[in-house]
Amino acid sequence: MIKLKNITKWVNNGNNRVFLLKDINLQFNEGEFISIMGPSGSGKSTLLNVIGMIDDADEGEYHFLDQAVHEMKEKQRALLYKQHIGFVFQAYHLIDELTVYENIETPLLYQNIKSSDRKAMVADMLDRFNIVGKKDLFPNQLSGGQQQLVGIARALIGAPTVILADEPTGNLNSKQGEEIMELFRELNEKDGVTIIQVTHSEKNAAYGNRIIHLLDGRVDHHAMEQYTKTV
Amino acid sequence: MFKNYFTIALRNIKRHRSHSVINIAGLAIALAATIVIFLVLQHEYSYDTYHKNADRIYQVIKKDVSPTETGFQVGVPFPATRALRQDFPQVTFGELYKSFGSQLTVMKDPNTISSRRFIEESGVFFADPEIFSIFDVKWMAGSAAVLKEPGKLVLAKSIAEKYFGTWQSAMDGYLKIDNNILVQVAGIIEDVPSNSDFPFAVIPSYKTFESNQQYFNYGEQINDWGLSTSDHQVYALLPENMKAASIDANLETFSRKYYRMESATKTSHFLQPLKNIHFDTRLENNGDHISNKTSLNTLALIGVLIVLMACINFINLSTALAAKRGKEVGIRKVMGSSKTQLRTQVLFETGLIVLFAGMTAVLLAWLALPYLRYIADIQQQLTLINTGSILFLVITLVVTTILAGFYPSLILSSFQPVEAIKNKINNTRVGGLSLRRVLVVLQFAFSQLLIIATIIAVGQMNFIRTADIGFDKEAVLLLQGNNDSTSLARQAAFKSDLLKLPAVKSVSFTMDPPSSLNSWTTNFAFNNNTEDLPFSLYLKTGDEHYAGTFGMNLLAGRFYTTADSARKVVINETLMQKVGIKEPSEAIGKTIRIGAGKFREIVGVVRDFKNNSLRDGIQPTAIISYPAFYSLTAIKLKSNNLGKSGEAIQQVWDKHYPEYAAETRFLDESINEFYQQEERLSRLYKVYATLAIIISCLGLYGLVSFMAVQKNKEVGIRKVLGASVGSIVYLFSKEFTVLILIAFALAAPAGWYLMNNWLQNFTYRIDIGAWVFILAVLASVIIAWLTVGYKAISAATANPVKSLKSE
Ligand SMILES: Nc1ncnc2c1ncn2[C@@H]1O[C@H](COP(=O)(O)OP(=O)(O)OP(=O)(O)O)[C@@H](O)[C@H]1O
Ligand SMILES: [Mg+2]
Repeated sequence: MIKLKNITKWVNNGNNRVFLLKDINLQFNEGEFISIMGPSGSGKSTLLNVIGMIDDADEGEYHFLDQAVHEMKEKQRALLYKQHIGFVFQAYHLIDELTVYENIETPLLYQNIKSSDRKAMVADMLDRFNIVGKKDLFPNQLSGGQQQLVGIARALIGAPTVILADEPTGNLNSKQGEEIMELFRELNEKDGVTIIQVTHSEKNAAYGNRIIHLLDGRVDHHAMEQYTKTV
Repeated sequence: MFKNYFTIALRNIKRHRSHSVINIAGLAIALAATIVIFLVLQHEYSYDTYHKNADRIYQVIKKDVSPTETGFQVGVPFPATRALRQDFPQVTFGELYKSFGSQLTVMKDPNTISSRRFIEESGVFFADPEIFSIFDVKWMAGSAAVLKEPGKLVLAKSIAEKYFGTWQSAMDGYLKIDNNILVQVAGIIEDVPSNSDFPFAVIPSYKTFESNQQYFNYGEQINDWGLSTSDHQVYALLPENMKAASIDANLETFSRKYYRMESATKTSHFLQPLKNIHFDTRLENNGDHISNKTSLNTLALIGVLIVLMACINFINLSTALAAKRGKEVGIRKVMGSSKTQLRTQVLFETGLIVLFAGMTAVLLAWLALPYLRYIADIQQQLTLINTGSILFLVITLVVTTILAGFYPSLILSSFQPVEAIKNKINNTRVGGLSLRRVLVVLQFAFSQLLIIATIIAVGQMNFIRTADIGFDKEAVLLLQGNNDSTSLARQAAFKSDLLKLPAVKSVSFTMDPPSSLNSWTTNFAFNNNTEDLPFSLYLKTGDEHYAGTFGMNLLAGRFYTTADSARKVVINETLMQKVGIKEPSEAIGKTIRIGAGKFREIVGVVRDFKNNSLRDGIQPTAIISYPAFYSLTAIKLKSNNLGKSGEAIQQVWDKHYPEYAAETRFLDESINEFYQQEERLSRLYKVYATLAIIISCLGLYGLVSFMAVQKNKEVGIRKVLGASVGSIVYLFSKEFTVLILIAFALAAPAGWYLMNNWLQNFTYRIDIGAWVFILAVLASVIIAWLTVGYKAISAATANPVKSLKSE
């Protein structure tokens, strides 16, 4: 469902062109659970943002569900990812001025869903993540793990086909992290949601059924071969 | 969706409380100021628009063109009305004669006087029935037809109630005008709206005036085309589809037919549209003031600028705050919000703040309205809520929202979500730092402009109030009486009783004090020449004690005496110079012919005194004796403190004039009244300059608070490195001082240009000194420092460790 062909992204630093991503060729299928790994600064977040359409590549082709994203205008792209993509961030990125309930509801507002339907959908989510009691609290009144649950609930509420998660457990302790990973696995297996996560932890990466290694903005095939060998 | 916008807007307003307070306060003050200005303009431009034929109503104006000057008069010669009706049969003409300070005595029956008597300063119009075919009034009883007969009169409802208790009982009742003319109430009209320059209150028929001419001192001259008084006015109602210009052309022919064309002054007539009557400062009207359209437009401009200033504050603070909201915007974009939705959200939030400000503004305006009469010419209470003002408020709120919210909404919605989420949005990225500087400069330029205008206006007012008017206006009491023959006959006895009072120094009978808003002009000839001089002579008339009572200074010769007053005349310096005499003593013995009279000998020259307000120059003036016109008694007191002698004077009055109410005022007070319009104008400037300063200070304070947060870390590091509090305060103030100086470079020339123009309205005016500008710039620098200082000092004295740790 996702095809990246020769994706390249750079920034100009004086006369030097610094490549953030270079010739990325990847293909992800529906229902996969992908883990992206690599050292700090290798371009993992950049790649995820490009996949999530909140950042542009400078060169290359990007097809999402057979639609040419690289040829789209911002509006069309927004329409596409609004329908299909849910984001989970390391730093949660909840809106501080909104309650748990309202944070979860926000994506629905931008999808023109009726108020009564929204209520039911948010209630479902609260239920599912066991945070009904917290619905009127503000993000700063929650623990990190709870905030991330809200973040995931928010990502899921629009029933996306793909979840992009950038170090979703980075700010959590290992137990909380494990819970999130279990949740992802369940979503992937039961609901068939495609998951692409960035992670530094081998253990979390192992939840996925495929691991992509990045190094200096390139796909590190060597590391990937090594990895498959050890498995 | 909007519910979500609404909650987040409310929470944002609460979260950034000081920022919101500054925004709301600034906008509220500005909006209140514009609401008040709107009400003033709405009222001024509504004068006499309610007449159903308003666009077909005209006033016949008289224009006198001499080789040296052109004069305009609302007064039309008495015989003109009939001639106009004859020559323009298709036009409806109406005439009226206006009477000032008439006394009306309620009669028990046609022969018995009651003790109920009233003086009507204005509102008394002898009118013919046609006047009410032209102007709309609502008849409660009777009709315009009752004015066809002499001895009939129509009253406005409130006057009828004042005189007779109820308006119903007023019908058929009798009144006596100035103790001479008996009239019967034959009609009642509803009170004329306050936005009319035709305050009809007491309306005897015009025929009543015609059949009682002997009481009005016009004598045979009443049929003379050479005589006109501003009290006799003619109005016209044109048939539909007739152009005033075509009548004007024919009025030229008309004038050539009736006026003596051999005289140096050429007289003609033209039609003045009703809608100009409230604004034509060349002429007088029958209302309580004439408005200057330039002043009104300036006021409108001030209103617009003040709102713009508040919008500038809003934009400044919102863009400054944008950095803080970058994250929210980024997240919303990732959640699928479009740019339009984000812009709508920002505009919605702005709208909410503007709405709060609007509600506060309505409250402020409501509190301020009763004080309006101190700064505007409008003396009646205006109503805050009417269709026009609601519409204005709605439009202003919408426009303000767009002005204040549009730019911040563009800035916010243009954030790239990646950068917003990475927290890369900072103050410089928000851009517009230089834009914000430009806006602050504009704000300061405007408030400095107002400061300059205020200093000059107030200076000019003080100059006028304390200026030498050429005579002694202190301790002179004026008693307004009548000049009918019975009143005049009692003057000698009245005077001798007055002089017996210990407080009284001298008494003079006259028509007018030396300074008054009335003017009486005539043609004249000098030194036995048959030719008239090509300029008008201004007349003052009083008895032989006039100069003494008013403390005038003789430069040469003497004042006329009882014995020779009928044959002698006293002139002022200006007249002397205008007829080409250098030394006052040389003027003595020369002669002047006033109007068509005999030549009189000049016996004295007085130092120039201000005939009118100081707006006008001193006119060539002659003082003559003319006892038939002496309706005013001037009493010079030994001290300004009236005390018990007020009662004593009243008793003397009642003894001699029991049938007249005494109307007294002090000369210096009535002179001060000339400058009421200017006085109000200078108050207006003060008020609006203060508002402008408050608004720009609010903006400055908000900006500096924001800067303080931004510079927290820098200040912390500097302090750790050993910077003094003073040097840190300097860090904050330096930039603003530079901005103020730039603003000054804009404001100073503009202020000089505008106020120099304004001063041209006055013949006697102050020079605009450099000190005005120095004072203005110093004032704004000091005010800005005070505003900035508090925040700067608290930033400078904060614990550096804290601010560094929080990073
Ligand atoms: N706007 C930019 N200008 C210059 N360099 C940038 C910019 N954005 C990212 N980079 C650089 O691109 C590289 C990749 O960044 P990216 O955030 O994708 O790394 P990452 O793999 O997610 O690292 P981490 O594991 O630390 O999150 C980094 O070296 C970063 O410094
Ligand atoms: Mg990263």
